[in-house]
Amino acid sequence: MDHHTKTNIKHILVANRGEIAVRIIKTARLMKIKTVAIKTAIEPTAMYLSLADDIFDNTEDLSEIPVFLDIEKLISIALKTGADSVHPGYGFLAESAYFAQKCIDNKIIYIGPSPDAIYKMGNKTIARRLALKNGIPMAMGSEGNISNDEEAVKIAEKIGYPVIIKAASGGGGRGMRIVRKAEEMERMFVIASKEAEKAFNDPSVFIEKYIENPKHIEFQILGDTRGNIIHLGERECSIQRKHQKLLEEAPSCALDNNLRKKMGNMAVQIAKTVNYYSAGTVEFLLDSDKNFYFMEMNTRIQVEHPVTEIVTGIDLIEQQIRIANGESLKLKQEDVKLKGWAIECRINAENVQAGFAPDPGKIEKISMPSDPYIRVDTGIQAGSSVLSQYDSMIAKLIVSGKNRKEAIKNCKMALDKVWIKGTKTTLPFFRLLVRNQKFQDGTFTTAFIEKDLDKYYFNSEYEEMLAAWFATKLFVEENLEANSINVDFENSKEMSPWLMNKRLNQF
Amino acid sequence: MNTKLKIDKLYTLSSENRKFSFPLPLKNKIRIGKRDYIVQLKADEKYGTYILWKNRRYPVEIVRSRQNKYEILFNDISYTFTVETPFSLQRKKVLDSKKGKTEQEFVRAPMPGKIIDVLVREGSAVLRGEPVVILEAMKMQNEIQSPVNGKVIKISTKANTNVLKDDVLVEIKAE
Repeated sequence: MDHHTKTNIKHILVANRGEIAVRIIKTARLMKIKTVAIKTAIEPTAMYLSLADDIFDNTEDLSEIPVFLDIEKLISIALKTGADSVHPGYGFLAESAYFAQKCIDNKIIYIGPSPDAIYKMGNKTIARRLALKNGIPMAMGSEGNISNDEEAVKIAEKIGYPVIIKAASGGGGRGMRIVRKAEEMERMFVIASKEAEKAFNDPSVFIEKYIENPKHIEFQILGDTRGNIIHLGERECSIQRKHQKLLEEAPSCALDNNLRKKMGNMAVQIAKTVNYYSAGTVEFLLDSDKNFYFMEMNTRIQVEHPVTEIVTGIDLIEQQIRIANGESLKLKQEDVKLKGWAIECRINAENVQAGFAPDPGKIEKISMPSDPYIRVDTGIQAGSSVLSQYDSMIAKLIVSGKNRKEAIKNCKMALDKVWIKGTKTTLPFFRLLVRNQKFQDGTFTTAFIEKDLDKYYFNSEYEEMLAAWFATKLFVEENLEANSINVDFENSKEMSPWLMNKRLNQF
Repeated sequence: MNTKLKIDKLYTLSSENRKFSFPLPLKNKIRIGKRDYIVQLKADEKYGTYILWKNRRYPVEIVRSRQNKYEILFNDISYTFTVETPFSLQRKKVLDSKKGKTEQEFVRAPMPGKIIDVLVREGSAVLRGEPVVILEAMKMQNEIQSPVNGKVIKISTKANTNVLKDDVLVEIKAE
């Protein structure tokens, strides 16, 4: 891939942290574009800082609001450091129309879509109207926002239960609640609305018919500022829990070329309603009869973008930068060829034995496998911490293969080579998943985790016994010290130094 | 304790009531069927502490330990064990049989966060899986559910309080 280009963009402010900051910096380097990253007080030694060309030291700023959410501050940093452009990454301000506009007002290139497109697609009620007007298939729902649970009950009775309450300004699964009967409405309405207010500063919600057991299929879009828009095929993201994606793959085994073409065209059409440029994602639900419904459009680079990069060979961050630079798309729809299969596992610091509760903490050891079929995107190195202020991502393990079967096989091997110590992780969940028949068949839906699994982790036959042996060893060593029971310990008088240390540190 | 008695084995019980026994002195070998397999506890700079078994490394960690109770993190999964001598096991059996069937369940905070809402009152009947508290953590509102069918006997939190992991939120008497 030729990354070199004559460009207006020479210096990017990376307005993000973690793995996505690392990801942006890597492509910028290939394109010989300088980057500036922001050093914060809570993560002064983060990995992304070591890769950037320049660092803006913001460690004196002890404000509770992360700098990555502080528009005025980011603009002033860009101006101070001489950055000519800003990449927002995902999360934080990545879908703030106001931030994009502020950049433009200050003559800073915003590496992303237009403020107008961000605003329209970010407001789900506007997006719904746009889609309806353009004949895009949609689930039935409320005309606009709804103001109270009584109104919600009325609409729900009209379209039929179950319904889903969604945040008008939402995304990423927050502010969403499924309601199966009228009695649940009041409580769910309050929860969804409060969560929406907290997460998006906007309590407005609307209602849609809830599609039971769908697949989550999304299309990657690329558009330039001259009105060319193409899609790069789909990603299947049905493996999710409470609307949080855990594993994504490209392509999806639920689509054949016909359906891919149909949905892809629809995705391009949706993007056209807002004259979309940059990278974006159109999300659909696909029901068991292969009917599809437009859900929402995400106006940013997504966490799961690497699986598309692998099967298309296209660097999406590079495309974003080129498009922001005013270049027209070199690719035509017919140039996009999907090759092979890619699977991404989100290795998060979460406790799969306690409902995937976040388990933040220091990562003491981390070692990721390296093989031609493995790509790892991470912002964590040994000594880094997963902080409760941010998301719980440790690393994305992206595995490919000639076909789905081979990708799953490679994934299974790769999972056993990942070594992380310090927090609990989602690894045992993925170890279970790659061995699950329904996952292997590809017949799973978004209800898979809740309905088809009775436990969320895999352990091989002897693992519990080995753990028991370890507990027994500890007991023996501790009680040898205390000498409280009469045991013949002649042959196990070994108090290893690591154990001593461990105990001194812990207790 | 009778110091004259010789203890020749230990029983290690999992929280799910699986029983493992290990002969004393504890060896670096575990018998499976008719074969002995070597199990080694090791530590180095790259991997930290691990157990080597059949040519594979498994990460291992002590999460918590109190008296004879151990929470072990093994290959990213945590297990809770109590290690018993043949005598203490006998005593435990007697004690367990005396204990009544009704159990008190403590609903604890699975993660640190803020209580947004308490959905039940003292005296409320709850079903297994029914949400009792809404806890906000890492920008998500989480429903904390009752682990059992029963009756709420005590509420130990209220809306807008910050809680730590494992704080007791609600006590439920199982029925």
